[in-house]
Amino acid sequence: MGIEFERVNYQYTGIDEKGYLALADVNLSIEKTGEFVALIGETGSGKTTLAQHMNALLTPSEGRVRIFGLKISKETVKGGKLRLNPIRQQVGLVFQFPEYQLFEETVEKDIAFGPKNFGVSDAEAKERAKKAIRSVGLDESYLERSPFNLSGGEKKRVSIAGILAMEPDVLILDEPTSGLDPLGRNGLLEVFSRIHRELDKSVVIITHDMNTVYEYANRVLVMREGLLVYDGDPLKLFSRRNVENWNLNMPDVLKLQRELEERFSLTLNTWPRSRGELLKALEEVLS
Amino acid sequence: MSFIEMENVTFSYRSEDKAIDDVTLSIEEGEWVSILGHNGSGKSTLSKLLVGLLKAQAGTIRVDGIVLDEATVHDVRERIGIVFQNPDNQFVGVNVRDDIAFGLENLQVPRKEMIERIETYAKKVDMFEFLNKEPQQLSGGQKQRVAIAGILAMRTDVIIFDEATAMLDPKGKRRVLEYMRQLNEEGTTVITITHEMKEAVLSDRIVVLKDGAVLKDGPSKDILKDRETLEQSNLELLLPLEVMHRLEEKSLGDERIKEHLWALSLNG
Repeated sequence: MGIEFERVNYQYTGIDEKGYLALADVNLSIEKTGEFVALIGETGSGKTTLAQHMNALLTPSEGRVRIFGLKISKETVKGGKLRLNPIRQQVGLVFQFPEYQLFEETVEKDIAFGPKNFGVSDAEAKERAKKAIRSVGLDESYLERSPFNLSGGEKKRVSIAGILAMEPDVLILDEPTSGLDPLGRNGLLEVFSRIHRELDKSVVIITHDMNTVYEYANRVLVMREGLLVYDGDPLKLFSRRNVENWNLNMPDVLKLQRELEERFSLTLNTWPRSRGELLKALEEVLS
Repeated sequence: MSFIEMENVTFSYRSEDKAIDDVTLSIEEGEWVSILGHNGSGKSTLSKLLVGLLKAQAGTIRVDGIVLDEATVHDVRERIGIVFQNPDNQFVGVNVRDDIAFGLENLQVPRKEMIERIETYAKKVDMFEFLNKEPQQLSGGQKQRVAIAGILAMRTDVIIFDEATAMLDPKGKRRVLEYMRQLNEEGTTVITITHEMKEAVLSDRIVVLKDGAVLKDGPSKDILKDRETLEQSNLELLLPLEVMHRLEEKSLGDERIKEHLWALSLNG
């Protein structure tokens, strides 16, 4: 029992009272563990709106979302009696450019802020900060540092550690690598992949980078004008004939594989997902 | 004399570390140059120095022969326009028309001509139908196109794109790259600031920055395959070139494959 969307519509209302349907009849379910989901689509397609429903930051205009069994709908949320705090802890949402939200004097205080807000003791929050900083690939010496003297990539890691310290079951990341150079990007993706593998958490990542989708995700959701138009395997998605109509780029690895296979009449033994796998597969077929 | 000349320019923020360390660099009129570097290499600092948003502690910057200082900074900004990364932070008008007008008002362009220029350049970036729209009604890519129209309308000699595609979706990215190419073909000097080799390779020349200093400066087709320089500066070799290197190392594949991989790399 993870997160389930049942016929969810979400309507933004403008000043002019003219509505704008950001989500239209979305049905989907995400397991509590074991998933690595990429959520993709053009700007304005509804990705962030969808993600904000996953931890009840937004309530559906119609339909319902069940988050770990708790039913979120217009009716249940009305009156403000529904306790949403546990959900915010269970489903950690990392906003785009989370580094803008760092504010404490030290990295430790910043990471401990979230758990303390959820009633965790000082001592326990400090322990969690230690664990969380290691999970994002930084050593404990960072805890004493000021968050403002860190590089962009380090700041992003610290803000993600702040969410991890709340020990969520599901982690949702909104364009977590945007603005990072290749080294920072790959490093951070490895962090997510490890959180997924070793801590067995489900990860949902919003991205425009098809290389990330292809290499890391075991499931991809495509949003287009508020509709969920694809939910399934990444390789099958990129093999669809109409995929270009959705304004998605091909992953570099797949593009080059096809290009070389067609032009030089080769057939690789596998469908490599990463640079390393492609190099290996090409070596095999050419030797 | 080159159009832009930086001579021994040094700049530090409050800390001791030099963000820009003794950089000497010249850019010719009509060139398309990429400044390529990892996060924190100093590339955005460099672009801010060029438009006088930051003031160098040492060294000289000349634009079309004019030494950049407090007295000339406004003249220089009429020659060099800049488009930044975040489309939300640079939208200053209440609507698209107003936003494009902003730079022109500063230049005191007569009203009739201003209206003409706004319409011309809104058309150029396909935003003419959106002239009366407010920023919250636009996507990131659309806002970025408005920012570009605003700079184009000022008819500057140089346009700096400071990671201007970083926050855009693939379609938005492609369009902005296409404008860079078009503008350069029409004679504008274009400077692309980026950490993506895919974008840098489209320009004629690449300057690789590392720790505030110029690590390499040369034609794109040379820098592109310079594995050592790219590795030193935390940058990625383009995939077709990585494959080419691997095949060469292992003496695999024939010349046709290698030639094709090279051709693919040049297209980014």
